[in-house]
Amino acid sequence: MKALARAAAALVLCAAGALQAQTPAAPDAALVRQRLQLAPVLRGEFEQTKTIKGFRNALVSHGEFMVARGQGVWWHTRQPFESTLVVTRTRLFTRAADGSTSNVMDAQTEPGLREVNELVFSLLSADLDALGDRFAITAQAAGASGWTLTLVPRDANVAKFLKSATLAGDRYVQSVRIDEARGDSTQIRFMHQAPSSALSAADAARLQ
Amino acid sequence: MSQAAPDAGFPLRRRRWQVAAWVWLAIVAAVAVHQWKFWTAGHFDTDVMALLPQDEQAPEVSRATRQLADQFTRQVVVVIGAPDWAAATRAADAWQRAIDVAKPPLKDSALAGSAAMGDLLAFYAPYRDRLLTPAQRSQLEHASAPALAQSALGALVQPGGGSMLSTWNADPLGLWPQWWSARAAGTQARPRDGRLALSADGLEWVVILRDSTQPAFSFSGDSPIADALASAQAAARVAVPGVRVIAGGVPLHSEYAAARAHRETNTIGWGSVTGVLVLVFLAFRSLWPRVLMAVSLLVGVAMALSATSWAFGQVHLLTMVFGASLVGCAEDYGLYYFANRQGAPDVPPLRMMSTLLPGLALALMTSLLGYVALGLPPFPGLRQMALFSVVGIAGAFMTTVCWFPWIDRGSPRQTAFARWIVASLDRYPRFAATRATWGVHAAFALACAVGLARLDVNDDLRQLQSSPPALVDAQRELGRLLGLASPAQFFVVRGTDADDVLRREEALAARLDERVAAGQLAGYAALSDWVPSRERQASDAALTRRVETGVIAAVDQALGESQARAAFAAEPLTLARWLASPVSIAGRALWLGTVPQRDDGAGVASVVMLRGLQDRAALPAIARSADGLPGVRWVDQVQSVSALLGRYRRTMGLLLVAGHAGVLLALALRYGRRAWRAWLPTAIATLGTLALLALFGQPLQLFNVLALALLLGIGIDYGIFLMERETTDAGSAWLAVVLGAASTWLSFGLLALSSTPALRSFGLTLLFGILIVWLVAPCYRPARAACVASPRMAP
Repeated sequence: MKALARAAAALVLCAAGALQAQTPAAPDAALVRQRLQLAPVLRGEFEQTKTIKGFRNALVSHGEFMVARGQGVWWHTRQPFESTLVVTRTRLFTRAADGSTSNVMDAQTEPGLREVNELVFSLLSADLDALGDRFAITAQAAGASGWTLTLVPRDANVAKFLKSATLAGDRYVQSVRIDEARGDSTQIRFMHQAPSSALSAADAARLQ
Repeated sequence: MSQAAPDAGFPLRRRRWQVAAWVWLAIVAAVAVHQWKFWTAGHFDTDVMALLPQDEQAPEVSRATRQLADQFTRQVVVVIGAPDWAAATRAADAWQRAIDVAKPPLKDSALAGSAAMGDLLAFYAPYRDRLLTPAQRSQLEHASAPALAQSALGALVQPGGGSMLSTWNADPLGLWPQWWSARAAGTQARPRDGRLALSADGLEWVVILRDSTQPAFSFSGDSPIADALASAQAAARVAVPGVRVIAGGVPLHSEYAAARAHRETNTIGWGSVTGVLVLVFLAFRSLWPRVLMAVSLLVGVAMALSATSWAFGQVHLLTMVFGASLVGCAEDYGLYYFANRQGAPDVPPLRMMSTLLPGLALALMTSLLGYVALGLPPFPGLRQMALFSVVGIAGAFMTTVCWFPWIDRGSPRQTAFARWIVASLDRYPRFAATRATWGVHAAFALACAVGLARLDVNDDLRQLQSSPPALVDAQRELGRLLGLASPAQFFVVRGTDADDVLRREEALAARLDERVAAGQLAGYAALSDWVPSRERQASDAALTRRVETGVIAAVDQALGESQARAAFAAEPLTLARWLASPVSIAGRALWLGTVPQRDDGAGVASVVMLRGLQDRAALPAIARSADGLPGVRWVDQVQSVSALLGRYRRTMGLLLVAGHAGVLLALALRYGRRAWRAWLPTAIATLGTLALLALFGQPLQLFNVLALALLLGIGIDYGIFLMERETTDAGSAWLAVVLGAASTWLSFGLLALSSTPALRSFGLTLLFGILIVWLVAPCYRPARAACVASPRMAP
């Protein structure tokens, strides 16, 4: 039962984290690592397409994101609604258009969040061993500079919710596709990605 | 039958004695059959609360105690911590391999693999609409409809947002995962890669739960669990240097205690048996007396067990412990007989026994008197002990009297050792009514007064804690890391039916939430967490229906969709349905079920447990949460067992005084105004022992008082023996006293060396008491001339 909330959060962060990623793999893992570029801070824009059971239309959203290694993820949706999701080491919360925040999860009450963070940050640091513990990874080279990774959860409890995650990219992760066990899926494309070496004061404030 | 003419009608008496021996044999045989059944069935009761007076003992409380204990007494918890998860799992694997090799009596815990997540979800899904956390309830009540709709829309467009556990139209606000997260707060451990995991103190921990398959009270001296855990811990350390391994659980404590008790019984027991054998052999140049005394003791204990289990249905373990002290009393009869046989070898056994019978009968009577007094107050524990002791001593006495003259056929041998002891009485000082004597007594009284003024009383149960500090620390550390619920304090909630109980639990939970907010508690475990009351389910279902219907309409409008809210179960979730499902395995111990009805008609009950109690100082505030709530009762096991020990101590203390008075009265019937001579040594020993205990800084507790009750039984026997034979063979009586005191000293006094606190205080008390009564008793023997003329009462 404890796993449920964690699984939910893990999924959120699989997405949030993976979009950043310099990810892992088995045979071509070295190749992926070689082709990916690590940066302490990465900014960019995204376009997300969600297909949810019961909805006739796909839900498309646009916005910007920022990932600071070891510190957090900031996910700002501009279209069709203003809304922000922030994940840090200690909490996971949303910020509505009016600036009000609501805690979705807190490491104090949900110890699983720490593990979720570890997952995010192991993705960010391309810790292939740690990812390999959780996922069966298939890596493939695509063209001269591209690659794809398919992650299938090893934990049966997680597999009940997450069927697979597929990442594709070159120097950066260019797209993420998440297939949930229930049939819903999320496709995210990343654009205009720009690395930087340090977190600006404004970015730090976004994670508060 | 008077002693003056022992030969008159002797053949008749001889025949009667023969009949008595055969009748006694038949009785013993019957008891033996019963004993065989008793030991194969094992009717030992270990529930301390069973010792409480019946009218005060709340049946639901003792049921709760037993049920929680059942859950906790088997569980062994091990946590293995390393700086990172990979190292922790590597150490855990090494640990597991070592356990597989050692094969200790452990099995995978039933709780570890409890209900698969899918089953849980499937079970609860139809009731999702009526399951809210307090925070969600207040949020839904107070937040505006547009804000909620906005938050639902926001979740839809966020990555992974919304409820992952159900379709969107069954939970548009994502309330369901949060509810589960709150359920999961019961423990800090989380499933991870097929294991239980924990992050704390900057380390990653693997949590391992096992159940002991060893009987809860095993009397073997091995410690297979601790040994296997130690080797597994070493293996984990080899695999991952610096790994932290903490193991705890009741089986470790009880195994330690059993192993130590076994070790002590071996050293102390063999020491005392050897000592006693040597003494008896030195005195009688034969081990035959020792064998006979063992027979009388065995018969006594067997009869006591049979009678107690017949009268009470069960024998409490504490009764057994106290009953073991019968040895001291029962032995004295045999020693008295053999010492006198040796003193007058020409007198045939039967005639000697009939000569000694009046004195023996008086010794028996005074002992019985003390024990009968124990049974007067309405404490079931005391009554058991009283019955056990009375039957046991009477059984040993009857065996001695009926059988010894027939079995003991040889002629006793004189020994230098016995002669030396017998002769020593003549040189022993005797108090006369001189100024010096009064001075000695005044000095003694003063010393006692000083000592008694310093006597502390301490009934705290925790003082009896005898586990090694390392184990206690490990236990505390585990409690902190895992935030486990403690079986030491809890609430019992009664109601007329299950729903009534749940409603009352919810009222209690609201108050406990304040304690949680105040930081005094990490949380609590209650059935109503898993099955809210019917009333609450109805109101929460109405709330979510109103709010979610609005949210779905707003989202439909914003996105051009046409979703309808999912349907939920028409009937509320009932406790009966929950209990019948495997999903309730981990929580079932909280439900007590039917309990005896009270005046208020409340006939079912549950338990609410506390988690992560920060400080015992917060207990009064937490206990007050029950104030004014109908059917809610606070139970503090540590406190109530301590209080129980205290009440037993006080009651037994008073009975001890009453016992002394009764014994003095019985002595007066036989010895008239000289009765004080037989009684005073024991009284002096009792006061002197209390003073000595105080001087040694030992607090007074129940076990000291129990020992003093035994001292009364034994000490008075010595006084009687010396008084009885003063005219004929005081030396032989003295031999019996010396041997009796020495063997009691060896068997019980040595308990003072025990590291089990209860046994130690019992042993120390007897060590002091027997020594004093032994040294002092002959000082009060009457001058020979004075007693020749004294009248004797017929038996």
